[in-house]
Amino acid sequence: MVMEVNQGNFNEVIKDTVPVLVDFWAPWCGPCKMLGPVLEEVAVELEGKMKVTKLNVDENQEISMEYGVSSIPTVLVFKEGALVDRFVGFMPKAAIIQKLEKHI
Amino acid sequence: MSERYDIAIVGSGPAGITAAINAKIRNKKIILFGYENLSNKLYLAPRIDNYVGFHGIRGKELAEKFKAHLDEMDIEITYERPDNIYAMGDYYAIMINGKLYEATALILATGIQFGKPFRGEAEFLGRGVGYCATCDAPLYKGKTVTIIGYNKESIEEANYVSELAEKVYFVPMMKEEYSLNHNIEVIQDKPVEIVGSTKVEKLVLKNSEIQSDGIFILRDSVPPDQLVPGLLVEDAHIKVNRDMETNLEGCYAAGDVTGKPYQYLKAMGEGQVAALNAVAYLERRKLNSDGVSNPTEGK
Ligand SMILES: Cc1cc2nc3c(=O)[nH]c(=O)nc-3n(C[C@H](O)[C@H](O)[C@H](O)COP(=O)(O)OP(=O)(O)OC[C@H]3O[C@@H](n4cnc5c(N)ncnc54)[C@H](O)[C@@H]3O)c2cc1C
Repeated sequence: MVMEVNQGNFNEVIKDTVPVLVDFWAPWCGPCKMLGPVLEEVAVELEGKMKVTKLNVDENQEISMEYGVSSIPTVLVFKEGALVDRFVGFMPKAAIIQKLEKHI
Repeated sequence: MSERYDIAIVGSGPAGITAAINAKIRNKKIILFGYENLSNKLYLAPRIDNYVGFHGIRGKELAEKFKAHLDEMDIEITYERPDNIYAMGDYYAIMINGKLYEATALILATGIQFGKPFRGEAEFLGRGVGYCATCDAPLYKGKTVTIIGYNKESIEEANYVSELAEKVYFVPMMKEEYSLNHNIEVIQDKPVEIVGSTKVEKLVLKNSEIQSDGIFILRDSVPPDQLVPGLLVEDAHIKVNRDMETNLEGCYAAGDVTGKPYQYLKAMGEGQVAALNAVAYLERRKLNSDGVSNPTEGK
């Protein structure tokens, strides 16, 4: 299940004991629409090993600015609150899992 | 919602049309994206001496023969240009100006791209450098954006961005006439390098520099791994095996895009191999899904 994060809960959520993936997206972004369902599948596959979340950049501009998100979709990976990885743009499921494996 | 094709073929050069012809013979539902003249490289070749059976033929003549062959087989070319193709798992989503096509298998026959990336371009991709200004424009509200434009579409994109960004610079790389919104500053200079620290800070040109939060490079053709994110590219060519398979399941590549030599017959042979293997892939998938569904029917 992909959890929605925002300004209110972001800092809390990224401190989780399992690594946290945050998908920065917006409703007007085509590639984001395609990445969404792929990340849903990733969430199922990595259940218990990684938390998959998404953040709407239109509604949460401060966080987007803080992490220098200048192109979406951007995916950030956090480990106990620290940013450990980022990738930009759509990626197929296998490539995402491969990238995430080193963090879990 | 949109109907799903068996095989989508991108590119109407010798590789793409050969793939289309062979897939059609195998009765697959195909869509072929490309151009009226098939391929500029074919159309412009003055004289071809290594195309077996047609010694000394002109490219234009050969293109006409190819077109007659396509007509004979009722193969239509869709005159559209995919912007992005996404590997969704069990199908490919092909985006064209917001429109969506779906295909189970994909054959890339887009030829080779000329022009090297700018220094710093790859490094800052996604950290200020982008290839689709309209896609990311809302992120640049109140900021400074530079657009390096190679075509007509880049004008439209620049005009759109100028409605959101605080300041827009436009660096024209084409010769044609264009008309930009009055608040866009045109810079007639040659881009050299993109510079920054954690993100883009400026564009360095031959005789000047532009401070900029974002730089969009709008070329005619995008590199294959930009067209299909996740595609494995080596030395600017799509990596394939003897079966013309790429690293993405169900995605094949053929022609100049896979590497040298750049020749008609090599391109066509590869197009044929790609098509036949794409057909085999479709059949394999069908078998698998039958195999899975049978036991659950409980017979
Ligand atoms: C002047 C000249 C002379 C040549 N002479 C010879 C010769 O004598 N003998 C020989 O063997 N070879 C010759 N070649 C090389 C030959 O032209 C190429 O090897 C051959 O055209 C490669 O075919 P292809 O199908 O891989 O790619 P191309 O012919 O380049 O076709 C690719 C097509 O795909 C289109 N395309 C790209 N991206 C997209 C997209 N996103 N959506 C839709 N369409 C897209 C392109 O615009 C193009 O029309 C010559 C080339 C040139 C330029």
